[in-house]
Amino acid sequence: MTVTTQTVTVTVDGVVVEVPAGTLIIRVAEMLGTAIPRFCDHPLLDPVAACRMCLVEIEGQGKPQPSCAVTVSDGMVIKTQHTSEMAEKAQAGVMEFLLINHPLDCPICDKGGECPLQNQAMTNGQGETRFEGTKRTFPKPINVSAQVLLDRERCVSCARCTRFADQIAGDPFIELLERGAKQQVGTSEDQPFDSYFSGNTIQICPVGALTSAKYRFRSRPFDLISTPTACEHCASGCALRTDVRRSTVMRRLAWDAPEVNEEWNCDKGRFAFPYTSEGRLTHPLVRDEAGNLGPASWPEALRVAAAGLAGIGKSTAVLTGGRVTVEDAKAYASFAREVLGTNDVDFRARAVSNEETAFLANHVANKPMDVTYGDLEAAKSVLLVSFEPEDESPIVFLRLRKAALSGTTKVFAVAPYTSAGLAKMKGTLLAAGPREEVSVIASAASHLSGDSVILVGERAAQTPGALTAVAELAAKTGAKLAWIPRRAGDRGALDAGLLPIDGRNTSEIVSATGSAVKGLVIGGVSPEDVDGDLLSAIDKAQFVVSLETRHTEITAEADVVLPVAVVTEKAGTFRNWEGRDRSFAAVIPTPGALSDADVLGELARELGKSLSVSDFWASATKPALKADAASTESVGNGQAVLSTWRHLLDKGSLQSGEPYLAATARVAVVRVSPATAQKLNLVDGGTATVSCCGNSASAPLIVTAGMTDDVVWLPANSEGSSLNLPSGCVVEVSQGGN
Amino acid sequence: MSKVPQVIRGFGVTFLSMFKKVTTEQYPEERDKYPPKPRFHGRHQLNRHPDGLEKCIGCELCAWACPADAIYVEGADNTEEERFSPGERYGRTYQINYLRCILCGLCIEACPTRALTMTNEYELADDSREKLIFTKEDLLAPLLSGMELPPHDMAPGTTAIDYYEGKVGSSPTPTTVKVGDDK
Amino acid sequence: MSLSESTRVQAREIISRYPQARSALLPMLHLVQAEEGYVSADGIALCAEELSLTTAEVAAVATFYTMYHRKPAGEYHVGVCINPGCGILGGDAIWEKLSSRLGIGHDEVTPDGKISLERIECQAACTHAPVMTANWEFLDNMTPESAIDVVEKLVSGKEVMSTRGPRIRTFKENELTLAGFDDGLVDEGVQADEQMLAGLKRAKELGQSAPGVKK
Repeated sequence: MTVTTQTVTVTVDGVVVEVPAGTLIIRVAEMLGTAIPRFCDHPLLDPVAACRMCLVEIEGQGKPQPSCAVTVSDGMVIKTQHTSEMAEKAQAGVMEFLLINHPLDCPICDKGGECPLQNQAMTNGQGETRFEGTKRTFPKPINVSAQVLLDRERCVSCARCTRFADQIAGDPFIELLERGAKQQVGTSEDQPFDSYFSGNTIQICPVGALTSAKYRFRSRPFDLISTPTACEHCASGCALRTDVRRSTVMRRLAWDAPEVNEEWNCDKGRFAFPYTSEGRLTHPLVRDEAGNLGPASWPEALRVAAAGLAGIGKSTAVLTGGRVTVEDAKAYASFAREVLGTNDVDFRARAVSNEETAFLANHVANKPMDVTYGDLEAAKSVLLVSFEPEDESPIVFLRLRKAALSGTTKVFAVAPYTSAGLAKMKGTLLAAGPREEVSVIASAASHLSGDSVILVGERAAQTPGALTAVAELAAKTGAKLAWIPRRAGDRGALDAGLLPIDGRNTSEIVSATGSAVKGLVIGGVSPEDVDGDLLSAIDKAQFVVSLETRHTEITAEADVVLPVAVVTEKAGTFRNWEGRDRSFAAVIPTPGALSDADVLGELARELGKSLSVSDFWASATKPALKADAASTESVGNGQAVLSTWRHLLDKGSLQSGEPYLAATARVAVVRVSPATAQKLNLVDGGTATVSCCGNSASAPLIVTAGMTDDVVWLPANSEGSSLNLPSGCVVEVSQGGN
Repeated sequence: MSKVPQVIRGFGVTFLSMFKKVTTEQYPEERDKYPPKPRFHGRHQLNRHPDGLEKCIGCELCAWACPADAIYVEGADNTEEERFSPGERYGRTYQINYLRCILCGLCIEACPTRALTMTNEYELADDSREKLIFTKEDLLAPLLSGMELPPHDMAPGTTAIDYYEGKVGSSPTPTTVKVGDDK
Repeated sequence: MSLSESTRVQAREIISRYPQARSALLPMLHLVQAEEGYVSADGIALCAEELSLTTAEVAAVATFYTMYHRKPAGEYHVGVCINPGCGILGGDAIWEKLSSRLGIGHDEVTPDGKISLERIECQAACTHAPVMTANWEFLDNMTPESAIDVVEKLVSGKEVMSTRGPRIRTFKENELTLAGFDDGLVDEGVQADEQMLAGLKRAKELGQSAPGVKK
């Protein structure tokens, strides 16, 4: 395919170049290797020409022009500061004005050492100030959110943060207030800057005006050792940069990956890293004859683990959790199927179904990368099924929002109500509670064509028939289909074969433990994530080996605990939802830190075998996809069908130890439609209690117009809502709370 | 002269020097007799404002300037409850490793608040590596008369700028004078 | 004081005038001032709600323009032009006199809430310098004495006519007009006077016209 672009010929500093029409002068200069100083310019934000630092001379125009906002026209002759005295003087003048009110507190400023203002004051400013008055000062710093701090006197009013919040994240809770010398970034008193993407504003701030509570005063840029890494929190696959000082992670930044996260990431990926150093297991643990778990050497622990597994290998089940790297996943697959000889292996630490197993085997596993972020942007329409991008894969949300705002893509979502995220994507709700989903999916064909993409989330497993309906819809319309799990390791685990083909799935393993399943090998699984009582299954099991990074409820009950490395200590690869490999290097090389694959390799050797690499899917028999029977449980008086998903910031174990981040989490609310509120006698703004099977959670009620009737929505695993049930359950809903 | 044997001639030199002025300094017996020059670069000192607050703001520029990588600093927030220096930030951890330090003085040139200066003290020897890593307690200047031991508030009605401009005097309510633990 | 439901109805009426709802923000903020005497937090919340904006976005606009007050303005908001033309011709003296007589400075209100003062920028009426405004109605060719006289009349509740416009009404009444609700006073009082039309008259005499405009 040839793309014909109209080009124009321009001269920059005497160099004649041909560039596409509509290119900004500053970009043309970049192509030629000429750096024009700038603050407000950002390639991913709309031009605003707020800082005036990038002034250049254009022949025929009397005054210097901002190169970040003027596009080239044919025959334009541009002179930058290198060849034009006017441009040089204009830039030096702007710099002098910017520095008039900028404090000289570089020694204590977090940005000092990596500051565009500092650098450009040296390259494009004049050494001495002529300003002798008193600088404008503000009380500082102020919190624009729990995590983001603002030093207003350092601000140069470039509007990068406010433009990011408005144009990229869609959370315009920060704005430029006041005017003239008093102009300042601020929030409204009643709405803090609680955006999932707020950390990006700190990173793109060209001065030290925005800093994070987490990193403030912790380090100076020149102390840090930086390593390019990949994010372990979700399946988006963000490129990150991890900065370490004296073997402690100080901060993480979004790093460039134009094809994936562009230059952004979410606050969870940016700030949720204290878990890598807190409460770590430092040595293996072995349960002695008296039943006490005590420290042991690696050879002893491996010997005990091997002895325990040796007799019951074929009746042992392996639960890996969704945080495994591709390398670890392959090791688990080989260890389960070849070393232990069991097919009871599942990576899914959540509600699962055999319909999902068949769907994943037939439509996702080991598929080449045929839906990418680029495809989302190019698609005419995108249908979201059981998938709330802002909460479950934030970078997908940013891409879809970008596509929707540019007008190329229409977003449709099969969901119970129009979420904040869907509204920000200008999406259309195809209202459906868990029971209506299947029929609504089938009728969504009118919105799709061969240029469409269907994105189905992992929650689809909770609705019998949904995945079958999605597969049929894709076949019927020719739309591309992609499955987006929540966790970073899921896709890699699936491709490695950690799916229970001819074996028991997670729920079946939990219920069969103590009878057909005698032993358990458990990786990074949180018991509350699993549909079923994993802890009592562990009680019933004859022998349990846990591979964990930290002390958990599972390690407390296991017979042998083998400590494994966290992401900062090992190199590896996460495969994101696209199927794209996101490899990362060890950030803190730690002697003695063993990855899951290393430990499983040692354990296999102890069992007299070795791990091998094989392509599981080449020879696997894929089960046929057929819809599970829909629930027929009746919805009685005072009851509703539960719809639920997790907020991005929830009570997940990898977010522990970061109170500033937790304080920006969305508060749990209960949502019902106006008709359902009336039926259940619920009052808008009051407290509602949702309960089922002995568990209950209370939260403020929001009566939500346009929501499906007889459905109640409540976030799962959130602060104030510990009701961890899958969607589709019939729950009691009542006014008032505990 | 050539008739005198070489050996005797050699003793002649020895004999003559018995009448010359002795240049040997009797250290340590007579250490006070030969004080170092006033600008001698000796052990560092972390200075205080007249009311006892620390001058160090934990900016780490000394650590950055150090060609021998002998300095380690960690900054931290001053809070309303616990204030160690004027302004927002103070040096929570401050260490100089005298096994590495070459006493070049680049660190004191880098210091933006004159918190770090060098004393004339040159007796920097000890019997273990640990003892030669001087911590903040070892390096802080002793509390002089009129100084109050931090943490304490800034003088009422003053700002950090007033401290930097030398407008703040000694504390009206000094605690008992306490001399720093000199090694 | 919370905003009444009728204010909300009026706000929706303003919104309906524009193809883009957001364009209605400026008149809506005047409407809030007509109701509250200033841009209150409730008013910001109302605008945000009706226009699907965040309160920060509304606050950004409300704090940018000087005609929106962050605290209650006086019943009569009096402005004195202190730009060079008016200032030299007596504006500065008027300001001194008014400010000392009322005992308030820029952006301050008398304790009884009757008068607030503002040092205003050019009102494009330099032909009538020095110029004052009362609730944005013109008071032309003022002197310190006439300024005091006008203010005293306003305080005592006597009717004052603008020298070039209708009678001067209260701040809130006037804000409703600015919000785009007709007060029926469009033709009241002196309109463009001799001084203003002098240039046009002279141009006509000389047969001049603006470039590109057909006679």
